[in-house]
Amino acid sequence: MAYEQRIKPDLQFVKDVQAAGGEAVKKCYQCATCSVACPLAPPETPFPRKEMVWAQWGLKDRFDGDIDIWLCHNCGSCSDLCPRGARPGDLIAAIRNITYRDLVEPTIIGKWMSSPKHLPKLIAIPAVLYLLIWLMTTGFGLPQGEIIYGKLFPGDYTIDPIFGLVALFVAYSFYKGVMKLWKSFDQAIPTTLQIGTKTKKPTLIESIKAVLFDEVATHVKWNDCGKDNTERFKGHLSLFYGFVALAIVTSIVAVSHWGGLIVPFIAPLGHTPMPLWSPVKLLANIGAIALLYGLTMLTRRRINVDPATSTSSYYDWYLLGVIWAVALTGLGAEIFRLAGVASLAYPTYYLHLIAVFMLFAYLPWSKLGHLVYRTTALVYAHQVGRLPLKREEDKVFMI
Amino acid sequence: MAEKIGVYIDESSVAPLLSAEELVAFVKAKCGGACPIVKSHKRLSSPDGVAMIKADVATGELDAVLLCGTSPRVDWELFDFGDKVIVDRVNLREFVVLGYKNPDGSAPVPGQPVPPELTSMVYDYLRMGVVKLQKMGTPNPEIPETVKTILVLGGGWTGINAALSASGAGYDVVLVEKEAALGGKAAGLYKTFPMNYPYLEATDTGIDRLIGLVAGNGKIRVCLSTSLKLLAGAPGQYTATLVTGGKEENLAIGSVVLAAGWTPMDTDVLAAYGYGTLQNVITSAQFEAMVKAGAITRPSDGKAPKTVAFIVDVTKAMEATPAAPVEEAPAEAAKPADKKAGEAAEAPAFSPIKTPKHLAYSSELTSLVALKQANYVREKLDDAVALIIYDSMMVPGLNERYYRAAQDNPGIMLTKGTVTGVVQEGITMVVSATDTLLGGDISVAADLVVVPTGLVPATALDPTINLLYRQGPAFPDLALFDGFADSNYICFPYETRRTGIYAAGCVRQPMTMAQAKEDAAGAALKAIQCIESASRGVAVHPRSGDLSYPVFNFVRCTQCKRCTEECPFGALDDDEKGTPKPNPTRCRRCGTCMGACPERVISFDNYNVDMIGSMIRECVIPPKIEEGGPRVFILACENDAYPALDMAALRGRKWSPYVRIIPVRCLGSVNAIWVADAMSKGVDGVMMLGCKYGDDYQCHFVKGSEICNRRKENIAESLKRLGVEPERVEQYQVAIDEYDKIPDMIDQFMDMVLKIGPNPFKGY
Repeated sequence: MAYEQRIKPDLQFVKDVQAAGGEAVKKCYQCATCSVACPLAPPETPFPRKEMVWAQWGLKDRFDGDIDIWLCHNCGSCSDLCPRGARPGDLIAAIRNITYRDLVEPTIIGKWMSSPKHLPKLIAIPAVLYLLIWLMTTGFGLPQGEIIYGKLFPGDYTIDPIFGLVALFVAYSFYKGVMKLWKSFDQAIPTTLQIGTKTKKPTLIESIKAVLFDEVATHVKWNDCGKDNTERFKGHLSLFYGFVALAIVTSIVAVSHWGGLIVPFIAPLGHTPMPLWSPVKLLANIGAIALLYGLTMLTRRRINVDPATSTSSYYDWYLLGVIWAVALTGLGAEIFRLAGVASLAYPTYYLHLIAVFMLFAYLPWSKLGHLVYRTTALVYAHQVGRLPLKREEDKVFMI
Repeated sequence: MAEKIGVYIDESSVAPLLSAEELVAFVKAKCGGACPIVKSHKRLSSPDGVAMIKADVATGELDAVLLCGTSPRVDWELFDFGDKVIVDRVNLREFVVLGYKNPDGSAPVPGQPVPPELTSMVYDYLRMGVVKLQKMGTPNPEIPETVKTILVLGGGWTGINAALSASGAGYDVVLVEKEAALGGKAAGLYKTFPMNYPYLEATDTGIDRLIGLVAGNGKIRVCLSTSLKLLAGAPGQYTATLVTGGKEENLAIGSVVLAAGWTPMDTDVLAAYGYGTLQNVITSAQFEAMVKAGAITRPSDGKAPKTVAFIVDVTKAMEATPAAPVEEAPAEAAKPADKKAGEAAEAPAFSPIKTPKHLAYSSELTSLVALKQANYVREKLDDAVALIIYDSMMVPGLNERYYRAAQDNPGIMLTKGTVTGVVQEGITMVVSATDTLLGGDISVAADLVVVPTGLVPATALDPTINLLYRQGPAFPDLALFDGFADSNYICFPYETRRTGIYAAGCVRQPMTMAQAKEDAAGAALKAIQCIESASRGVAVHPRSGDLSYPVFNFVRCTQCKRCTEECPFGALDDDEKGTPKPNPTRCRRCGTCMGACPERVISFDNYNVDMIGSMIRECVIPPKIEEGGPRVFILACENDAYPALDMAALRGRKWSPYVRIIPVRCLGSVNAIWVADAMSKGVDGVMMLGCKYGDDYQCHFVKGSEICNRRKENIAESLKRLGVEPERVEQYQVAIDEYDKIPDMIDQFMDMVLKIGPNPFKGY
């Protein structure tokens, strides 16, 4: 028989969860409709019911190493079917938000990311930084002649070193976060118990490949959900590939620019500003359009969603807002540059830098952190075989 | 006694099987002397039909009207021809035309010759109808001098509300409170469950405002520090002896609202949760008092707790103390006394009822109190947490909203679970529970543990109403309700088995203040209704408005005391010699006394031993079973069995043509002499159809069908001695909704009778 477990209800944790998007968690009366409805829940200790119970009681320690919050793809089937309007999907999202906040040092960034009242600080950091650079290069003046942003913010001395450092910082933070998560999963998930036929444990490489190519690339789980997820699926997929395209563009520019110093013939490939016919520029523009399409779909969904079944937290709006800012200022900077309106082009580019900084420098503490953490969890789940129950027939739920 | 009867046949009821003219001719031929007018009409209940009868009545030629057609249960309001004219009905439509089937089971065919069984059946019913009226008189009750003051026992929330309701309706009220101040338990509450929309927050009880209203009310006399020593007399004519600080005072009282409330249950069953041994385990009643006094602290060190655990699950307490066997109702004891009419039968001594079940009965309140007090924790203490462990969260009705609101509070944490124990670790308490929603067994630390309070009704511990009745000072058979003065009718909440006393509030069943307020108003209305009925000489529920009353022919009385003992309502007192002393305003007119009396001393003007006996004798019993078939009488309780028979017929069910149905007020009124008469006349069987009896009885007069069953045993023994098969007399329990079963019961009984053959007395 189960041994007696001492539980420690924590009121502050309940309040934190509610503030992070799980306001309705207390309404749950534990009927378990959510766990039954969830198409992604594994058969053993399914989610999200247990998370609802833990959160109601403020049992913070139970969430340590709870891999299930990452297995949830927030389709909202559970929240739609919840008879009490407790919105389990929102609760799981809230727990993820708390994880972004607390997982890695410096947690002060996490705290600033958790509430709109700290937003000015987050904006001020890049704003002041780039303002100083502007001051140093032209003394707030607008350069004459052809619009080349390098005149204001020279890539070699300002853009690349700053973002290089940011990239290192983000990569290191993610490394710490991933290690911490992995260890917590190890502690929380018992490894000795094996039920059913023994299966061969996949290698780590196999698991990573399976997750990246079978899941992330295809977004296959999005359509496993029990309801029409088309809008979300299309939006997220195009946003994802928009970012992939832009990442490729950025890599080409960076590699050719710096690599060009060693292998000179690749240098022109990434020389900016590029002509519009350049395949790299074309890819960049396609990426930008994909971004805008994805943003439109996802924003429209969040605006139109029934607040009784799903709400959007500050984390959701922060990320959407910053990506909107990146996309719009990026496109604006390009259009104004091509139109030759220097008085608009340069300030827009300045704003673009701020937005990009906000997107990347705070990434491990933002909702976009799921890019790394969810992938980590999916790999771990693939390793230990914590997979959804194979469906033999369609679950049909009617309300 | 009706002598000039107008008999009216309803053509629409007897067609198409029977000819109304033929029936008129039969009545004229057989009963012409007693029936100066015999007519038929297309439809008696039509305005034209009623006008025809009224015209006949106006000639002054009639003192009774016999309507032969539809069931007496329909159109009764149309056939009122004034005080001087008795009206009775013969149920030809349901019991004859619709219920008839041929002996072979086939349905009669209209237009074909009338089957002889049908003819003899309709003739029997017509003759019985006429003779019934001949034996029936107009009740002429003595109108007693009544007092219209209502005594309200208990000055708590319910009592005050009842007093205000009664005085608001214009009646004088005497409000008796044993404590030195009004308010009762409500005065000790910090808040109570929501009583108004949106039903989300506990509110002030408002008891102070009500106490103020009582104080300023000229129609309410408040007697504090007062108890009721004795309640003598009968509804409308009670004398209440009140004692205030040793001084006695007699008051004339019309009726009583019992709102004596409750006391907290003994805490010994709570030892399962450490109560009594652990300092920081307190009852919800103690917690309430603490909050009312101002601050929440834990007893051990006076510090404010950070975590308070509320135990709502009482499984372990109930297991720890197996329920004491509920004392058998006096019915057991009365059984032997029944035969030899207990010479020394004294009123049974009152024994208090203590049972852990009181804790279980209070579970709705336990749930609500835990929610309320958890909210106190949240209201009074910063960032303190309230834990609630429940087995069943019982929040019926609108209180579901209150439950939801409590759930929404971030600092109130609820789980289902079975509490297995409370132990002390250092200064904190640790509550353990199994089968929780959190998965498996848990324990949780708390600074303070609150255990539930069981409500014990005042009537469980003390007679309370202190009646000067022959059957004792308290309500009878309270063990059935574990001491709660709960109603003896499922659908009529305020009734008690003492006419004129109406229970309200927690003395009746554990309830919220919102419910108690409604209860108070309802009981006050019943008390008023009782006074008004008494002052008009009519019965109260369930024969409301009945003018008849039992008449005693004391000349023949042998002082056997059966009537005084068996009356389910304690209506009869007696003198030293044992002569019964009727109290008409206590009486519910069931006739149980009439059924009890071996000397046929007791009768009603319109319902008596001779009347039913004459009806039985009026039927023609074929001397041979082969020629004309057997005969069986059905004595059908008017409350359930009779309507069920009606409904069976209306739904196309048919039964044996050899039965004759006679309605009775209650099986309790069935006198053994009727059965003896029937058997000696050669009848082959008697079926008694009455309500369910036992602990979950449905008898409208509580004891009637049960008493009948006991008498039946005696009858069966007598029959045996005479060489008659005792199976010929059987009692069946029928509910009003069992109309689909009744025809089969009848047919099975007939099969049985045919199997054992004719009554040996047949033909003598």
